[in-house]
Amino acid sequence: MKSSRFVLNLTVATLIGGLVAVGHAEDGVTKDEIKIGAFGPLAGPVYMYGKLAMNGLEALFDKVNQEGGIYGRRLKLVREDDACKPEGGIAAVKKLIYDDKVFAINGGGCSNATLAAKPEIVKAGIPFVVNSAVADGISSPPSPNIFTTQLTATIESRAQLKYALEQKAKKIAIVAQHDAWGRSRYEPMMTALKEQLIKPVNDEEMTIDQNDGTVQALKLMQTGADAVLLIVYPKPAAVLIRDSLKLGYKPLWVGQTAIQDLPQLQEQVGIPGALEKFVSITTIPAHPDDPEMAEWRERIKKLFPNDALSVFNLMGIGSGMVVVEALKRAGPDLTREKFLKAMGTIKNFKTGMYPGPITCKPPVSNQCNQSVGWIRFGDGKPKSIGVTTLD
Amino acid sequence: MLMLSYLLATGITTGALYALVALGIVVVYKATGVVNLAHGELFMMGGFLAYTLHVMVKLPYVLSLLLAVAGSFALGILTDRVAFRPLMKEGLASVLLATIGISFLLKGIARVVWGGKGDFLAFPPLVSPEPIRIGNVMIMSQQLVVLLATLAVMLAFGVFFKTTRAGKFMQATASNPRAATLVGIHVSRVYMYTFGVGAAVAGASAVLMAPLTLLYPDIGFVLFIKGFAAAVLGGLTSVPGAIVGGLLVGIFEQLAAGFIGTTIQDVSAFIVIMFALIFLPTGILGTRGIRKI
Repeated sequence: MKSSRFVLNLTVATLIGGLVAVGHAEDGVTKDEIKIGAFGPLAGPVYMYGKLAMNGLEALFDKVNQEGGIYGRRLKLVREDDACKPEGGIAAVKKLIYDDKVFAINGGGCSNATLAAKPEIVKAGIPFVVNSAVADGISSPPSPNIFTTQLTATIESRAQLKYALEQKAKKIAIVAQHDAWGRSRYEPMMTALKEQLIKPVNDEEMTIDQNDGTVQALKLMQTGADAVLLIVYPKPAAVLIRDSLKLGYKPLWVGQTAIQDLPQLQEQVGIPGALEKFVSITTIPAHPDDPEMAEWRERIKKLFPNDALSVFNLMGIGSGMVVVEALKRAGPDLTREKFLKAMGTIKNFKTGMYPGPITCKPPVSNQCNQSVGWIRFGDGKPKSIGVTTLD
Repeated sequence: MLMLSYLLATGITTGALYALVALGIVVVYKATGVVNLAHGELFMMGGFLAYTLHVMVKLPYVLSLLLAVAGSFALGILTDRVAFRPLMKEGLASVLLATIGISFLLKGIARVVWGGKGDFLAFPPLVSPEPIRIGNVMIMSQQLVVLLATLAVMLAFGVFFKTTRAGKFMQATASNPRAATLVGIHVSRVYMYTFGVGAAVAGASAVLMAPLTLLYPDIGFVLFIKGFAAAVLGGLTSVPGAIVGGLLVGIFEQLAAGFIGTTIQDVSAFIVIMFALIFLPTGILGTRGIRKI
């Protein structure tokens, strides 16, 4: 009789304990697995910011899992396609949070989709670390559960201006796209110029599909601009540089991360030596062919046999390294609260991917990457030429 | 003065791009009475076909050009057989909608097949990439190639429509399909070849223009809009009108950007379309349909 009562009590206690445990368990965390979600475009013209970044993240998770996981838990990546559209971003995030029940999200390929998804992420309180999208509004003003390891549009615009001034440019001009992407950079650029009491000698517009840049080049030439800050995509940049060279006009061109594939830009311009005076910002100064990237080349090849390592893979890996570090710092009893607290302790963390260390300063700023790397084209490939760190 | 010289020279060279696109639109419209809204995407497919053959498979330039033109011709015929011919009896509105459907379909196919190989693919030029001096202005050699090709295509079509039986069949079919049938013209076959020829022109244009415009799945729509503005301004039924319209759109675009501001450059094609529709509904060289009783 006594023993049967003991068994009954034990059963009840176990059930209650189990229920309590279930009540406290975080979504996406079991004793042997942590589910991390990612969203971004898996196809289409900007699939690199989604699919390739996720491939990089998967390669990192594979490495972590091979090394024993995080306190014995394997990392599992759950991917959702947002098609780089606002409605796609909202749907992808809802699915990750409520259907897939991931612990945290490390992704966000496109700014418009990520901005649209932000209210849902804030409401759910799920930790979100942005790896690709650059819009300032995603991480500013700071939300306690949103961090970014990507450079933002404002940081890049300010860095462009700082670089031109460091090169002692006297007459600064701007050539910008005035679409949503362009305006997110153009407006902070104008603010930065105003703060420095600089009036640009030219403020010209180009569109993403422009086939000729002679007018813009003529106007830049007329004012004698010695540095041109480019807030345009690769095509208008290529067209403008080509038509400027046609006129014999060679200013200092200062690009940003949309134009970081310099070998391709050289091909697009098509004139030998066209990029002699062109510099651009890169999120990832390392080149996929560098010897120190050999491990990641092999890992990407192993998991995705048709792919060669790209900077977009490295972007995913770099951001993932920060997430993995925070997971380690959060300890074995993983909760979202502990993870977010751990993100706040990331200071001077070197990933080997980004130009500078990662430092998060909640609640002041969750924009953890304040260093831009500069690249120039030489000997057929981009060369890292320095780093600008903003205050 | 130098500025004006450059604006005019650039207007002519970019106008030649638009004129080549307009030529394809006019040829199809002249024979079928349909504005093929998929013309830009046929152009884009021709460009990617040539890119695959020349850059990826490494075939010689001329062979790639010829194969791309042949492939575009076949694609034009295929679109007619699959989408346009079954709808011809339903009226022009149905065919017009079908051209929109085809344009989306082709763009989707291009994104799947060629998307993800870089944002904008570079295509090697036919001639030296170095600019050349003409008078007091410098222009890209490839722009001259496009300009000369535009004039050559215009002349070829002028001769074709004026002197060949096939050209006259096409015009007769466009003018009155029922009467054309009564005199023994195989109307559906004429339509089929017309869509094929229109696509072939688009393919040839793409190969010539790709070194200047770069290649990407969305290129078709933008060039179509500029080409359509040129065709409307020149007169949708006139082959020389397409050239005149193209050059005028190009020059207007450059002058507006040069003297008003670069902000207006991209919208100038739409201004031209509105102007033409209000003040020149038949275009500069177009003809109003005349019905004899």
